[in-house]
Amino acid sequence: MKALTANRLLDGEVVFWKAGQWVERFADAELFSDDEAATAAEAHGKNQPTVVVDVYLIDLIEAEGVWAPISYRERIRALGPTNHLAHGKQAEGGAVIEALQHAHGAARSTGRVNLIKRK
Amino acid sequence: MPTLIRWRDGRAELAEDAFTHVADDQDVASGDVIISLSRFQADGDRLLHEGRKVGVRLTSEEAVEALTYDLPRIAVVALEFPKYRDGRHYTNARLLRERFAFTGEVRAVGDVLREQAGFMVRCGFDAFEPADGAGSQEWDAAARRYRHVYQRAADTRIPAYVERE
Amino acid sequence: MYRYDTIDREMLADRAAEFRSQVGRRLAGDLSEDQFKPLRLMNGLYLQLHAYMLRIAIPYGSMNPIQLRKLAWIARTYDRGYGHFTTRTNLQFHWIKLRDAPDILDELASVDMHAIQTSGNCIRNVTADPYAGATAEEVDDPRVWAEAIRQWSTFHPEFSFLPRKFKIAVTAAPKDRTAARVHDIGLVLKRARDGALGFEVIVGGGMGRTPHIGPTIREFLPVNRLMSYLEAILRVYNRHGRRDNIYKARIKILVAALGVEEFTRQVEAEWLKMDAQAEGGVDLPDTELARIRGAFAPTGFESLPLQSEPLELEKAANPAFARFVRNNLKPHKKPGYGIVEISLKAVGETPGDATADQMDVVADLAERYGQGDIRVTHEQNLVLPHVKLDDVPAVWAGLREAGLATPNINLVSDIIACPGLDYCALANARAIPVAQNIAEKFRDEERAELIGELKIKISGCINACGHHHVGHIGILGVDKKGEEFYQLTLGGSGAEDAALGTILGPALPYDRVADAVDTLVDVYLRERTDGERFLDTFRRTGVAPFKEAVYADAH
Repeated sequence: MKALTANRLLDGEVVFWKAGQWVERFADAELFSDDEAATAAEAHGKNQPTVVVDVYLIDLIEAEGVWAPISYRERIRALGPTNHLAHGKQAEGGAVIEALQHAHGAARSTGRVNLIKRK
Repeated sequence: MPTLIRWRDGRAELAEDAFTHVADDQDVASGDVIISLSRFQADGDRLLHEGRKVGVRLTSEEAVEALTYDLPRIAVVALEFPKYRDGRHYTNARLLRERFAFTGEVRAVGDVLREQAGFMVRCGFDAFEPADGAGSQEWDAAARRYRHVYQRAADTRIPAYVERE
Repeated sequence: MYRYDTIDREMLADRAAEFRSQVGRRLAGDLSEDQFKPLRLMNGLYLQLHAYMLRIAIPYGSMNPIQLRKLAWIARTYDRGYGHFTTRTNLQFHWIKLRDAPDILDELASVDMHAIQTSGNCIRNVTADPYAGATAEEVDDPRVWAEAIRQWSTFHPEFSFLPRKFKIAVTAAPKDRTAARVHDIGLVLKRARDGALGFEVIVGGGMGRTPHIGPTIREFLPVNRLMSYLEAILRVYNRHGRRDNIYKARIKILVAALGVEEFTRQVEAEWLKMDAQAEGGVDLPDTELARIRGAFAPTGFESLPLQSEPLELEKAANPAFARFVRNNLKPHKKPGYGIVEISLKAVGETPGDATADQMDVVADLAERYGQGDIRVTHEQNLVLPHVKLDDVPAVWAGLREAGLATPNINLVSDIIACPGLDYCALANARAIPVAQNIAEKFRDEERAELIGELKIKISGCINACGHHHVGHIGILGVDKKGEEFYQLTLGGSGAEDAALGTILGPALPYDRVADAVDTLVDVYLRERTDGERFLDTFRRTGVAPFKEAVYADAH
């Protein structure tokens, strides 16, 4: 499974692709099970140079019943910095945020190193 | 005839370019030409004997010292920026002006953007082939954006420490 | 302190206007991201994980209360109420929006500040001894030369597109608080027997992927020839530094490849040729040097007794204050004055971070008790260089109320850490939480003092912004099959006894780092003889006992 991410040009905000729009919450991101559809969305995103920068696909893995970014870096992007829990998207809370935070813990305790693969 | 931007009397202006750039795999055109260093070393004498003006194009790997003895008979030294971030030609331009007292044209070619205009003028470039579509107005504004400079270079601008005296 | 004149101010205004037009062109689509990126970087604007980061220059780590209050205001208005002081003595804001950046540069310019050359392959913010003008150790005030370098290097037409970034440090004291030997150029001001001032010129130090302790290429350069000599070094580097491989592009690689002798020969030859052609020259005239020097002339010092009664009384009555004095108050050249170090390393906080409120408190204290002078150290702390000893109790009380009186300067919890993977797009692993875990482990102030000087430095990637190579204990975050691991090194030093750390052994997982540091400290306490710092003990015993203890634990 994949999702498409980027940073918004105007303010740098981490955004995710959802059916032709850029949304701020990972929970709202469109999930691509089909590589071809993912690549098509990526091409579409890269074609918006005055809207977003650094457009790329991220790999997801199922953790605790939700899809989470495999890479640790991507989870931090989807959550916010771990030293300021009130900053970034994590401040909002919610089930997906909690699952992402949990994915991090699970990766460590079980030692499933592949779960924390960087892109 | 293609146009280029020339720096004259502290301003940028459009000028007609009498020179033709000739690549190493092209036949030498008629009239005034700009050729590579290696071609100049092979054919320079002959071309100059034909009575035309010859310019030499240097890559950023090539040092201006290679031209030391030829400078008096060269009309243009074209310094080619492979990438805008490659800054070696700033030194080459200064050496041409300050160390070798070259009075011909020092032309910036290749990845030449208006953001470099001020630096280039200060290092002694006086002709430009912008790659970003900048015209003489944009070039002029960029090159003269800063009202002051802090250090001496190859131009005649007065550094801040002299201004303050 | 140096005050900008109309010329300096118009330079900043022109720069801010230029950046505003560049941002406008980018937003309009006239500049691609590839074209715009180097331009925003030249103004200290990076795109990081969560937002843009703006790195603001604090030239030679020196600022006044008005400037610090402006930074606090920017933190509140455009960021999330805090800023991060860096090992280059700059300040970073981590939640900046591109659309606000031109306004922020205007605001900065209004107090003589900017973000010029805080990134890019140019000459970066020059650093100097944070005790400059206050310590009795110095032979002269290094800020005079740091300011001269600031001006010379600003928009230098020849050296704005170097092979790679370029960092210069200036110190004038035998005790090196600038890490001069791990800079591209380190300048150590010395006085000859005849009283003449000159620089020891160190070139080609550095950290990153291939750390080097810089060799000295000239023992004594007459001070008034500094600018031309720097120009000669930079010219040799600009022409011959590698541009084919970003990891081999720093001057340290050129110096190592040519050999010190050949590199020096080329610099000296270039310098002679410059002399021969110089018309006006690039060296500053004595009048300009005198003008700059005048700006740093000591002012406002009273004649005071060596000892302060209020300070001694408070010390006797208040053990917490006494601890602060022991660790954070440093000797001043004038009797009755002291240098107060403000630790930004409170247990549980992010190393180098200060909130907007804390910035305001420091600005107020500097204004009231510190001659309006504030410094940033490369160890991510702040300094009030000129405080009357009589006023130290009041300063301490003010700091304490703001959570800034942590008495740990140079101790185990005074940790350098880069922003790491929590913010930085280049990082492989987090650095901040590692520092927090270690600080937590050594929360006991009594024990920390018993351990004594111990410099822990943490980087989240090989670029070494956290100076791990020169930590007494260095910690480097690595990405090992997708997990955060940490490589420990021992015995490094960025001071006058500069040395690169020795690798302890295999990298450790995140949750074992603080325990390992604890073990290292236990070995030191067991092995040390009288008066030995951690570094001294390590140098005497070598890595073996430390290695044995840490990896014995692993089994």
